[in-house]
Amino acid sequence: METSIEQGTITRNVENVAWKWMRYSGLLLIPLAWIHVAIQDVLVGVHRIDLNYVALRWANTGWRVYDFFLLSFAFAHGVNGLRQVLRDYVQSEERMKGISWGLLVFWAVISLIGAVAIIGGVR
Amino acid sequence: MNDFKLTLTGLVRYAGREGQLSFILHRLTGLGTLLFLTIHILDTSTVYFFPNLYSHAIDIYRSTPFMIGEIFLVFSVIYHGVNGARIAIFDLFSPKQWSIPNERKTAAWTLAIAIVLWLPALFLMGRSLLVNNFGL
Repeated sequence: METSIEQGTITRNVENVAWKWMRYSGLLLIPLAWIHVAIQDVLVGVHRIDLNYVALRWANTGWRVYDFFLLSFAFAHGVNGLRQVLRDYVQSEERMKGISWGLLVFWAVISLIGAVAIIGGVR
Repeated sequence: MNDFKLTLTGLVRYAGREGQLSFILHRLTGLGTLLFLTIHILDTSTVYFFPNLYSHAIDIYRSTPFMIGEIFLVFSVIYHGVNGARIAIFDLFSPKQWSIPNERKTAAWTLAIAIVLWLPALFLMGRSLLVNNFGL
């Protein structure tokens, strides 16, 4: 059985950019998130993580930059993914607009909190 | 809400085979990871905003239910990544390869690869759970 998708012309709009963003950020997140999870969850483990551990890790600027990238890409990827899921369930365009703005604020606030903590470090 | 009910009943009734299974797994693992990620950003942020609270957050993560949840979280991150790579590579680089036979074959391979990658994590995290929480 031969069924393939025909390539057509796509007008560039917000959804088109979001579609591409999900794929490129997703590919980038594979090394970023997997390395983070492998080290922190699997190899180190939550029983060896405490305030000192975080301070020690963030003493290295490289890890701070790493965490900053992980925060930016993972959370934006996730919130946009949630928006795409919701779009399947919310029929009214008006309500979806409200939800999208709500998600944007949610994303901005949580990202800002995380970014301040990474820059500020352990107190 | 009706749409949600329809989704749940549809999950059982609709026989979409591998494609449907990977669609559902991709969404569930993605949403699950986002839920954890949101909580995780906030609890880690306490190291700057409320350093005294950080140890309480870590204590919760060290409890048995959360450690079991963490093992599933690792599976979610692995599966979502492998399946996401499959989608991204097909979509971006060879959209003409998106055929139903290819979909079925690659969806099955995706699940197999994810499980194989997860097994070492399952072993190490399971051991950590038994050693730290049950004194084995």
